[in-house]
Amino acid sequence: MWLISLRDLQWRRRRFAIAVVATGLAFGLTLVMSGLMHHIRLESGRIVGRFGADAWIVAEGATGPFTTTKMLPVAATDEVRALDGVTDAGPLLVLRSTVGRRDVNVVGYELGSMTEPQRVHRGEPATEPGQAMVDASLGIAVGETVSFAGRTYPVVAVLDDTSFYFGSPTVFLPIVDAQEALIAGQPLASTIVTRGVPTTLPTGLGRLTGNQVHEDLDRITEQSAKTLDLINGLLWIVAAGIIGSIVYMTALERTRDFAVLKATGASSSALMAGLALQALVLSVLSGGVAVVVALLLAPIFPFPVEIPVRAYLTLFAVAITVGLLASLAGLRRVAHTDPAAAFGGA
Amino acid sequence: MPTLTIRDLTIEYSSGGYAVRPIEGLDLDVDEGELVLLLGASGCGKTTLLSAMASILSPTSGSIRLGDVDVTGLRGAALTDYRRHSVGIVFQAFNLVPSLSALENVAVPLLVAGAGRRDARRRAQDLLAEVHLTDRAGHRPGELSGGQQQRVAIARSLAHDPPLILADEPTAHLDYVQVDGVLRLLRAVAGAGRIVVVATHDERLLPLADRVVELSPRATSASASAPTTPTTIELAAGEVLFRQGDVGELVYVVEQGSIAITRERVDGPPEQVTVIAAGHYFGELAPIFGLRRSATATALSRAVVRGYSERNFRQQMGPRGLADLIAAPIGSRTTTDQPVH
Repeated sequence: MWLISLRDLQWRRRRFAIAVVATGLAFGLTLVMSGLMHHIRLESGRIVGRFGADAWIVAEGATGPFTTTKMLPVAATDEVRALDGVTDAGPLLVLRSTVGRRDVNVVGYELGSMTEPQRVHRGEPATEPGQAMVDASLGIAVGETVSFAGRTYPVVAVLDDTSFYFGSPTVFLPIVDAQEALIAGQPLASTIVTRGVPTTLPTGLGRLTGNQVHEDLDRITEQSAKTLDLINGLLWIVAAGIIGSIVYMTALERTRDFAVLKATGASSSALMAGLALQALVLSVLSGGVAVVVALLLAPIFPFPVEIPVRAYLTLFAVAITVGLLASLAGLRRVAHTDPAAAFGGA
Repeated sequence: MPTLTIRDLTIEYSSGGYAVRPIEGLDLDVDEGELVLLLGASGCGKTTLLSAMASILSPTSGSIRLGDVDVTGLRGAALTDYRRHSVGIVFQAFNLVPSLSALENVAVPLLVAGAGRRDARRRAQDLLAEVHLTDRAGHRPGELSGGQQQRVAIARSLAHDPPLILADEPTAHLDYVQVDGVLRLLRAVAGAGRIVVVATHDERLLPLADRVVELSPRATSASASAPTTPTTIELAAGEVLFRQGDVGELVYVVEQGSIAITRERVDGPPEQVTVIAAGHYFGELAPIFGLRRSATATALSRAVVRGYSERNFRQQMGPRGLADLIAAPIGSRTTTDQPVH
């Protein structure tokens, strides 16, 4: 029965190839979407984890350091450092600006404190005010300058994986520069991060854990992620529709063949297995095309795409499941084919 | 090789809700080596009978036995085994799988039955050699002529060396050159001790047969057996003049009383189609076209009808008048329009 199914695929190879390419494109886009969502989820964790904080101190009532507009005075840093349970502390100022036509995150940090960015990819960490470090996705090299809010800063280092807010690159500046550029020099911070967890807090301050900060940051991209999930679901449906219609059309066209095979003693289950094999081959080959499509699309996609290995494996599992489910109508057709249909004229 | 025995076979099915009984009370005995021709017009039940012999269709009553096997009682694995090993079918439209080569088509029944691919290919090669198509083994059906396709289909039917070969209109799609080869092959297949049953409407095949079963009355034979002079028939109330499925010989004119025309339904009591009153005629299509009666005629009250042979009726009506009247709705046709005496 396998021979008959595979020969039929060869027989209808042009239609089959079109279906594989079309389904592969749909599957490929789902892979890219998965990579995009994966990146969005990863980048929140990366930026939150980058400062090695055990606690995030914010103004009381602030939703989170990356989303709030409620600031606290930088001077509170020393007070926080002195709290029981805290071994180190540093202020962060998180704001938004525009470089050229591109939205960027601006993170002000205290030089020499625990908030100073580590693990630079190229260049050397800033040593004095007026020096900037930028995310690699901004496309500005060490030695060049970065300009925003009417000011220009030399870039002394490039960092990897510091984007957040849906892939927006980050510019790190000493906090005094960030304050001057974006909040008229007011000595404010979005948060004070600590090593060790303070047991008590001064009046007017609140404490958040890393997970709470992460969740708060994800809240911003939640709607976008849901939209991508929806698009992904629609793409799965499109792919299922292509496979289902191809398999069903094949079943319709092969009704006479199935009737003849049944009349010669083939069981319905064997014929259904043969048709399911076609759906399986179609799904797996479409998965292969999808991998190629995703690898080609990912670098030119306007948003950062990180496709995890798990997504590739999931793709094939889902593709096979979708293919088999989509072929149910065709399988049902096979099961109901009456061998008597083999008789009669053409 | 076993013999084929059919006893009191009746097959009834639903057609648009009406009960159709193309085969009724059929008895048939076929010995090994015989070629039987099931002859009849379209719709007379040839293919239905073949389907029953292949155990694809269950008859309403009666039995079909191939040797010791009660074909009509087969179920499950026994049914599959019968289809795989005891019967080979040659279909009207060849019905080869278009994506497979001739060799693979012949090997299909063996592969379906679980034979090894190598053994199946070897057997298929032998069978293609038997039908003189070795050089076309690698060609797909679309690359073969109609006659070659039918020879491949015959080779396929022989894959398991079954004792019974059923051929449905094997010459329907062939020109006379191709027919020659196929007929010789079918005759040779029967000569090898098998039973070959051929369903056809093609009377040119008559010399091929050891036995002929006519499943529908031919117009000529029906009219030949009909009385040459009009016959008067008196019917008591409720008496049946003819039944649905009967062979039709006469056209009737109601002289007195009235006749109810009813059709049997599968899912309920008979449906009254119309009532034929005195001065009207009915039942002309069956004798003219060699069909079975499509309805039952029953006297509603005491009635007198006069029966005319098809020839007698045609003479009375004239060829044009007959055609016009056949097109008129049943029950609206009176002898005053076209006198019939």
